[in-house]
Amino acid sequence: MKGVVLQNLNQTLGRFYGMLLQFLPHVLAMLIIFLAGWVVAIIVKIIARRLMALARVNSLSEGTGLTQILKKADLPAPLDLLSQLVFWVVWVAFLLLGLDALNVTELHVQISRLFQVLPEIFVALIILFLGLLAANFFSRAALLAAVNANLPSARVVSGFVRFLIILLTIAMALEQLALARRTVLITFTIAFGAIMLSLAIAFGVGGRNVAQAMLERMFLPTRAKKEEEEKEKAEEIPPL
Amino acid sequence: MAGREGVPAGSQLPEASTISEEFLRQLTAVGEVDILVGVPTFNNRDTIERVVSALQVGLTKYFQRERCVLINPDGGSTDGTPEIFKNASVRDFGLLLTSNPLRTFHRVSAPYHGIPGKETALRTLFTAADLLRAKACAIVSPDSLSITPEWVDSLIRPIYRENFDFVAPVYQRRKFDGLLVRGLVSPVVAALYGCKIRELVGPDWGLSGRLACHFLGKDVWEEDITTFGLEVWMTTTAIVDGFRICESFLGPKIQAAKQYGQDVAGTVRQVVGALFRCLDTHEEFWKTRGAPEALPLYGFPYDVALEPIPFSKRGIMDTFRAQVDQLMPILESILTPQTLVEIRNMERLSTREFDYPSELWVKTIYEFAAAHHRSVINRDHLLQALPPLYRGWVSSFVFRNQKADAANIDQKLEALGHDFENLKSYLIDRWSAEAGGER
Amino acid sequence: MATDALWYKDAVIYELHVRAFYDADGDGVGEFRGLTLKLEYLQELGVSAIWLLPFYPSPLRDDGYDISDYTGIHPAYGTIDDFRMFLDEAHRRNIRVITELVLNHTSDQHPWFQEARSSRDNPRRDWYVWSDTIERYKKARIIFTDTELSNWAWDPVSKSYYWHRFFSHQPDLNYDNPVVREAIWGVMKFWFEMGVDGLRLDAVPYLVEREDTACENLPETHDVLKFLRSRVDAHFPGKMLLAEANQWPREVREYFGDGDECQMAFHFPLMPRMFMAIKLEDRKPIVDILQQTPDIPGNCQWGIFLRNHDELTLEMVTDEERDYMYDEFAREMRAKINVGIRRRLAPLMEGDRRRIELMNGLLMSMPGSPIIYYGDEIGMGDNIYLGDRNGVRTPMQWNGGWNAGFSGADPEQLYSPIISNPVYGYQAVNAESQRRYDHSLLSWMKRLIGLRKKTRALGRGTMELLAPPNHHVIAYMRALGGERILVVGNLSSQAQAAELDLRQWKGSIPIEMSGGNLFPPIGDLPYLLTLGSYEFYWFRLRRL
Repeated sequence: MKGVVLQNLNQTLGRFYGMLLQFLPHVLAMLIIFLAGWVVAIIVKIIARRLMALARVNSLSEGTGLTQILKKADLPAPLDLLSQLVFWVVWVAFLLLGLDALNVTELHVQISRLFQVLPEIFVALIILFLGLLAANFFSRAALLAAVNANLPSARVVSGFVRFLIILLTIAMALEQLALARRTVLITFTIAFGAIMLSLAIAFGVGGRNVAQAMLERMFLPTRAKKEEEEKEKAEEIPPL
Repeated sequence: MAGREGVPAGSQLPEASTISEEFLRQLTAVGEVDILVGVPTFNNRDTIERVVSALQVGLTKYFQRERCVLINPDGGSTDGTPEIFKNASVRDFGLLLTSNPLRTFHRVSAPYHGIPGKETALRTLFTAADLLRAKACAIVSPDSLSITPEWVDSLIRPIYRENFDFVAPVYQRRKFDGLLVRGLVSPVVAALYGCKIRELVGPDWGLSGRLACHFLGKDVWEEDITTFGLEVWMTTTAIVDGFRICESFLGPKIQAAKQYGQDVAGTVRQVVGALFRCLDTHEEFWKTRGAPEALPLYGFPYDVALEPIPFSKRGIMDTFRAQVDQLMPILESILTPQTLVEIRNMERLSTREFDYPSELWVKTIYEFAAAHHRSVINRDHLLQALPPLYRGWVSSFVFRNQKADAANIDQKLEALGHDFENLKSYLIDRWSAEAGGER
Repeated sequence: MATDALWYKDAVIYELHVRAFYDADGDGVGEFRGLTLKLEYLQELGVSAIWLLPFYPSPLRDDGYDISDYTGIHPAYGTIDDFRMFLDEAHRRNIRVITELVLNHTSDQHPWFQEARSSRDNPRRDWYVWSDTIERYKKARIIFTDTELSNWAWDPVSKSYYWHRFFSHQPDLNYDNPVVREAIWGVMKFWFEMGVDGLRLDAVPYLVEREDTACENLPETHDVLKFLRSRVDAHFPGKMLLAEANQWPREVREYFGDGDECQMAFHFPLMPRMFMAIKLEDRKPIVDILQQTPDIPGNCQWGIFLRNHDELTLEMVTDEERDYMYDEFAREMRAKINVGIRRRLAPLMEGDRRRIELMNGLLMSMPGSPIIYYGDEIGMGDNIYLGDRNGVRTPMQWNGGWNAGFSGADPEQLYSPIISNPVYGYQAVNAESQRRYDHSLLSWMKRLIGLRKKTRALGRGTMELLAPPNHHVIAYMRALGGERILVVGNLSSQAQAAELDLRQWKGSIPIEMSGGNLFPPIGDLPYLLTLGSYEFYWFRLRRL
């Protein structure tokens, strides 16, 4: 009995040892790929950082106000953020490559699918980034225009513009990722349409007088101009 | 063919010329002139006749022997302005204490090519001055209600007889008129460029043919420059390039309809934007420039009682508070924390206590200038953030000096000018500061 | 001589002083015999009439305009027979003769005045204008401002004042007295019977005085002229009266009457404006004055000139214009006299041949009969250091030899020094050397005068001013019947281009008159001409 158990044990250990011997090279390969990937990711991160510095991403982002927003959210500056992102993307790719080296079929399939999606993810991230830049830029422009035009709710206008652009950006990013395409499209259309309709109603009904004034200015310039002049006269000192 | 001294002959005619064939034909008929007076127009039917008559009498009275031409580059008027220009005439010279002109009185009026705007009109005039080899030029605004024949003498004589190159006008202003120029642009230029010019945005000028050709040869025409931008550029370029500048007293400044719009925000943007761009271009010059010198003043300054400008106290204050509040996030990118704190404190003051101290105003402007130079945010956005602060300063200045007379106000503005001079080093420090670090 | 009642409308007149022209007898003063010997020169030049400055007996205190005998010849210039001989010879060469009638005043040495002043009861007392005070006619201006302080002079003989608009030794005749008019008519009859073709009526605006007036251009003056003219027409048809009235064109117009006063009158205001235009390089002064010039009766003619024996008068210009003319043309103080400039054409044009030609080209083509001052056809200079207007009355320069060929006398004996500087002196500027060369000014003047005489439209035609946009260029059309002459002149020292609107003559071919060459035909488009410095063209328009 002892002999059978020992023999079984030997056979099992032997099989295990054999499997291990078979598996070990793959693990080694995986570890090497992990390490190499880490080094490459660092190198790519440095290169990407340099390229982005050349492309003045920092000043672009500062110019549009994105830096301030990231700062508020306790996030690092765009350059750091993006270069870190590049590092992680490259290393994750190598990680996946490494895992693929284990030669597990199921894993293989999933990893290939992941690699196929990777470019789309990239593009979606770029869309998001540009969208955020644009949202900041235009919302600030709207804020300034509204403030200088003496509109009382300038911040609301600015926020609204930012919201709209971000919404559009997200929709575009999702579209790019081909995630729930139809749902996103329909949701976006409804949301956008509803917003526009409510704006129109608000303007036409609630802001009747303003609408009238604007139309007069367009089609009856003299009277409107005169009124404007009187108004200006009462409130402003001519700067020149 | 010999050119004017220092100017190579025939080198300035731009390829994409603003001069139409008709214009050129009329110029050919005129031939060489000694004096060129330009009146750019766009729908000025109400005032142009008076302006032309005043100029004609002025030229006859003061420059009877000189070959003169009156040129009207028109931006496509639809109200008959060019026809009025051509037909305006003086019926009886005897009543104006001058005899009939010795020479043919030349008048050239034609539309110019290019984007309608005073900048294209000025380029056209400079080209005409070059083609006609004019020794002295004057540019006169078409809607000056206070123009007299003496303006011709005031703008041209220093150039034609005294060899100056640039004559800046001096007007008798209403009490709080033109504070953007008197409280911002002029003191900055005086402090930095070392030249005290009271009116940097004209719109009436005298300049030598030499200077007109010099302007023509610059690249500024290819850029997207605005009217006020061009005038600020002209003045600062004349200073930097070493031309002889003087001032000449013209009298009260009363203009007809606000041709260029007295939209405060837009005007501040244009004028200050132009000023800041000039500071960028001329950095090497103004950083090493010394204390400002006063310019020779021609003419006999006098005072005339002018009706004051009406404005609303409460309205301006409320606007200021609301606007500054809403723009805080943007101002944080532009101004230093100290300045920001002071502005916040100011915002909280009541209408009666409200005061925008001179030193704070100077620092505000200099910080804006430095931020503009470093492009901390989009430059156009930066300039749009200034008008509310400008309004605040104007309100403060006006409230504090309501009872003062024009002479006192001039003194206050003079003192403000000294503040700008004294804080010049502050600007130089801010100019080259690292972005993000010092804030 | 060919008889044409309107001969003066085609005339090219040559003004000279017999004293200055040629001295045949070697006494240092020119005379009629000398002048007669030089008629061949004048015939070659091509002039059709001579206007002689006064040659009558005179104390010569006003260069002969102070006459002491209306029907004599000053002994220095010869005898009455010498004059007759000259007249006959001139007529033989088809040259008419115009002499002076100084009808406003006489010399105080004239027997008439000597008698008039002898006593208040003398029959000739009333031949002059007397007064016991100087308070009369206070509104009359003084003409010789440099020398006279008043229009009244004290006569110590009759102890009263006499009226004189000119020098104090030239008492004015009294035309309110019909006897005076008859006496003057007698003088005119004398000369016309002898054969003189025309009389220049000197100082004609001042004949009559009236209280509270400027004593110029009065209606009574015109009555006198009408009276005299009616006698001339009745007895001597074809004889011409030329009025000297230094007034504005509309006032001079009065001296033509309705064709029943003078046939000719000088256009004084045009002359300074031609000089002004060429200096300003702008046609405006000429155009302005021509536009102010009224039409004249069909049997009348303007007398136009560039220079004459007097100063270049600046009476008929504005103060600014006068200052400009002084500054530009009379930089030396000595060049100014009275209200004018005492210089000749060539020095005024700074010796510039092109400018001299241009001025003559305009003179010969403007409406009127041109008058050439002796010596200007060769570009003679002047001497501003001589007194009065004598600087422009120096001896004619015939050649580069002894006394410029003017006289065989000793140089010190001459009535006036000869111009002898290196620029205008007789060795540089003289008729003989210019006669030899085709390119000389004299030869050019001959050709120009020849062209002028062949072109009736220039003497008798209408004038239409054209208005090219280039104000440096003057252009006008002369027309008579089917003849069309286009004159274009560049008043500027620089080359110019001018576009002329000639559409109403579309289809005509301009033929340049000095060379006879064809220019491109006139079409619908503006006719482009380019002109060099001070260049001018005369075109005959020809229809095929």
